[in-house]
Amino acid sequence: MRLFIQPVRLLLCVPGVVLALAALSGAVAAPDLVVIVSARSTAPALRADQVAAIFLGQSAQLPDGALVTPIDQPVGTMTRDEFYERVASKSPALLKAYWSKLLFTGRGQPPREVGGNAAVRKMVADTPGYIGYIDRSALDASVRPILVLH
Amino acid sequence: MLSLRALPSLLPRRFTPGGILATVLVASVAAPATALAADDAASSIFKFSGFGTLGVVHADTDTADFTSSVLKASGAGATRRWSMDVDTRLGAQLDVAIAPQWSAVLQVVSEQGYNNSYRPDVEWANVKYQVTPDVSVRVGRVALPVFMAAEHRKVGYVYSMVRQPNEVAGGVPITSSDGIDLSWRWHTGALNHTTRLQYGRTNLSLDDQTRVRANGIVAVSHSIDVGAFSARASAIGADVTVNLAEPLFGALKQFGPAGVALADQYSVDHKRISLIALGMEYDPGDWFVTVEGGRQRSQSLLGTNIGLALSAGYRWRTFTPYIGYSDVRAQASTQSRGLPVAGLPPPLAYGAGLLNAGLNQLLMTLPEQSTVRLGTRWDFHENMAFKLQVDSVTPHRGSRGTLINTQPDFAFGKSILVTSMTLDFVF
Repeated sequence: MRLFIQPVRLLLCVPGVVLALAALSGAVAAPDLVVIVSARSTAPALRADQVAAIFLGQSAQLPDGALVTPIDQPVGTMTRDEFYERVASKSPALLKAYWSKLLFTGRGQPPREVGGNAAVRKMVADTPGYIGYIDRSALDASVRPILVLH
Repeated sequence: MLSLRALPSLLPRRFTPGGILATVLVASVAAPATALAADDAASSIFKFSGFGTLGVVHADTDTADFTSSVLKASGAGATRRWSMDVDTRLGAQLDVAIAPQWSAVLQVVSEQGYNNSYRPDVEWANVKYQVTPDVSVRVGRVALPVFMAAEHRKVGYVYSMVRQPNEVAGGVPITSSDGIDLSWRWHTGALNHTTRLQYGRTNLSLDDQTRVRANGIVAVSHSIDVGAFSARASAIGADVTVNLAEPLFGALKQFGPAGVALADQYSVDHKRISLIALGMEYDPGDWFVTVEGGRQRSQSLLGTNIGLALSAGYRWRTFTPYIGYSDVRAQASTQSRGLPVAGLPPPLAYGAGLLNAGLNQLLMTLPEQSTVRLGTRWDFHENMAFKLQVDSVTPHRGSRGTLINTQPDFAFGKSILVTSMTLDFVF
């Protein structure tokens, strides 16, 4: 019995190992992200620190003075965690601490969250005053990238 | 340092857990209300959130209490070796989006207070009008920027250490202002500036007998954020009255001009108190360093002192080990010669001697202290952090430092080892 079960267990482990390796390689080469505005928007290209200021509630305007509203991806998604790591060097816990500081001192609320690349893209495409971020693979002609995050 | 506990035996000490209960009740009533509203547009009108800390602290002394604020009744040490009263608190907040430019916030916090109850206090209660995306006006109760982390000092989840060091501005008894607050955000190049002006007053009841009143509170602060660097400078002035040790000052005045002069010098009766603070932080994500200094001035028992605090930490996975140092130096003597006793008839000399002893007992509350700390934060779960910290607290030069409830056998100048564990959460 014992001899029989062991190989089965080993076999069962294989997909797990493959998945783990895939996840690991995914973490090493995470997909590019793009910060987007509507194709109809005239917003100029932005630097990472300017995008961070908008998503961290420190600035409500683009460099040309136009008002801008950030649209976030949901808490716990890889796209969101990668975005904040790259533009602001903030882990999910640091970001939560940051927003807790603003919330409990009455200075601001985190951006509105919309679920998934397609939903963010549609909302940003429909409203020229919005700014969002999605995986580069989800890019289409309805939106215009103003910053690429490798 | 406010010497509120100068005559501890006169003050009642009662424990009333009803405060925590009341906060939980408010939370449980408000939560279903927002849940019900979640189905329609009202969900974006009301937003309920909260924070809290469950903490336990040990101090290796039985001659004084270590605690987190001058507005506390007791702590770890003399009262009990292990205390949950130092850091434990619960806060609940309701945000109301009234109209596109109008919003309101109400925040209630329950923690051990000066009267030893957990009665919830209103920490924030104001209505905000967003004039432009960068200019806002708030009317109501707004916290004062007495040091860099002053406004969020009660939300342990926000920072790395167990608590904010009470060496910088720890003796200022006013933490908020009821009035008007103007905030203006502006930009120069990559620098994000925020300038704030506050004007107001406060009237705080500490217990049945003790009251802190401050009029003409004026606060100006300016902060700069650029990438990982942030800095803030602030200045505050207020006319403060604390009905503290009034029998002592009344008795001193019976001893002629010398007694009147002493009472005028030390009583907290319409005394102007001023405070300036400068703090800087650099936090690129993997590590952080903070430095802060403050100077408090007043011609009273609240004293004149200079405080300094430094901290640095490193983030490794979910752990943030850190070190810190803080120090406060009194700029006035912690002793007074008091009334001249020589030449007085024996009964009067005896009375004057008692008053001099009482006065010096008050003056030893002017803080002279340094603290070295070591600890780690562990973000073990979403929205939760566990912290473990060890502080070595050393009061200097005949001062009790920021310790309270000192016993007759309190040993001046001896270091006290304080061990703290906290669980911070937000919801």
